[in-house]
Amino acid sequence: MVDVQPAPVIDIAVSDAGIRFRRNRRGRRSFKDLFAGRDRRSRPDEFWALRGVTFTVRQGESIGVVGRNGQGKSTLLKLVAGVMIADEGAVDVTGGVAPLIEITGGFVDDLSVRDNVYLTAGLHGMTKRMIDERFDEMIAFAEIGDFLDTPYKHLSSGMKVRIAFSVISSLDEPIVLVDEVLAVGDKVFREKCYRRIEEMKAAGRTLFFVSHNERDLRRFCDRGLYLDKGALVLDGPIDDVVDRYNDEHGIKK
Amino acid sequence: MTSYGDERPQWTPASRYRHALRLLTRRDLRVRYSTSVLGYFWSILDPLLMSAIYWFVFTQVFHRNADLEPYIVVLLTALLPWMWFTGAISDCTRAFLREAKLIRSTKIPRSIWVNRLVLSKGIEFLASLPVLALFAIFSGATVGPGLLLFPLAIVLQCVLTVGIGLIVAPLVVFFRDLERAVKLILRLAFYASPIVYGISDLSANYRSILSFNPLTGIFSLYRAGFFPEELDWFAVGMSALISVALLGIGVFVFSRLVRNVLKEI
Ligand SMILES: Nc1ncnc2c1ncn2[C@@H]1O[C@H](COP(=O)(O)OP(=O)(O)OP(=O)(O)O)[C@@H](O)[C@H]1O
Ligand SMILES: [Mg+2]
Repeated sequence: MVDVQPAPVIDIAVSDAGIRFRRNRRGRRSFKDLFAGRDRRSRPDEFWALRGVTFTVRQGESIGVVGRNGQGKSTLLKLVAGVMIADEGAVDVTGGVAPLIEITGGFVDDLSVRDNVYLTAGLHGMTKRMIDERFDEMIAFAEIGDFLDTPYKHLSSGMKVRIAFSVISSLDEPIVLVDEVLAVGDKVFREKCYRRIEEMKAAGRTLFFVSHNERDLRRFCDRGLYLDKGALVLDGPIDDVVDRYNDEHGIKK
Repeated sequence: MTSYGDERPQWTPASRYRHALRLLTRRDLRVRYSTSVLGYFWSILDPLLMSAIYWFVFTQVFHRNADLEPYIVVLLTALLPWMWFTGAISDCTRAFLREAKLIRSTKIPRSIWVNRLVLSKGIEFLASLPVLALFAIFSGATVGPGLLLFPLAIVLQCVLTVGIGLIVAPLVVFFRDLERAVKLILRLAFYASPIVYGISDLSANYRSILSFNPLTGIFSLYRAGFFPEELDWFAVGMSALISVALLGIGVFVFSRLVRNVLKEI
């Protein structure tokens, strides 16, 4: 390895981003609204899940997103992952993203674990040769070597998450998004995942981390974003952000 | 953990798209055939059974008096592509709903959810062509140079099917009733297209009305190899025009709706 100090590269630039959702799914929907462009007026049955959010992330930073339930954390990650599109502003992401969001989404119940690994890793941009190379490592990490030819639907829910985490976290993309996926899985496996996330962080990946667990946030993140009612109310060192969150919601140490 | 270093694949948007398309198509085939023994035969059994029924009804029961012979080839030349068309469009009504979980977790260009359906039904169509060849040989059909128009028909049908799919797929997410409506319209379209009959069987009046159905021109191309009198360049021209227009509308509708589709699923 050549030891050069790279200039800070902007990985993620979010400027004045906003996205709105319909509150009432049953409400009537007119053709006119559907086809209206991105800058149409907001309707009464809609609300902004995120609005006016602006920040940039440099390569290698690790960011924790804090906020109460329903304040827009997952939505922000989806915008960065590109699985949702902002209604306002811009979200620019340079480089690939390994989205540990709804990780089991790509897995097909009726296919075997082996087929599923090839499918999911392939859809996330790995070539067959890369998967071949990594296959044993992925299976070993998930510790499900005996179930390679079992249909995915017959795995236990913890095992499903394990193999999914193992595949997506092997993607080797420069940006990693983690949205509370570690809640499932037993303690030993969770610790293994944490170590992997730390390795990724040490390898210089950009990390975006959503969690309600204060210890995890302080462990993995340097910087924090505090979301409240869809607005970014504080962007600073993680300790400040977590302290402010605790203050505002009356949590004593 | 190891790193791939220099061997990271250099994806261009197009190669990434093709890669995903291939994976999804292979997934569909694998899912379909992993649980069934007869696999491939099911996909040709359906049009074969339909052909047999129509053949029986129109030649044995009703004694059709038309010039196009052999009738079984008349049927198959349009029924097989019809299966492709109707299969792809009715699958498109569930394109987003069925794959919601996967769509929520990857950012592959969303048009893939329509294109993959057209592609996998198209592959089934190609795989069923040997059946047409067998029947053509054993029923003593004559083959002419019009057979060279077959690829043109396939291209036109791709354009038409993708165009309609791009319109239908996102709209169904917001208007679920459309799913049933599309099924109904497809059933109607079956009789409003030259499938159980040929355009040369029709009076000039009906024939010109039917030319405005884009499937008329497409089926006329498929049949041209066996029945030169079925080739109608006016219908083909209309079909090309309408198909391209529908594709344009489809691209517009799709790009406008996709943002809301992602929120809704
Ligand atoms: N697809 C959607 N359609 C409609 N509303 C949505 C959609 N996704 C999210 N919302 C709404 O947007 C708001 C923010 O949701 P989000 O999932 O981002 O919250 P969160 O901060 O991740 O919460 P949690 O801590 O519970 O995970 C919520 O009010 C939610 O109901
Ligand atoms: Mg969330």
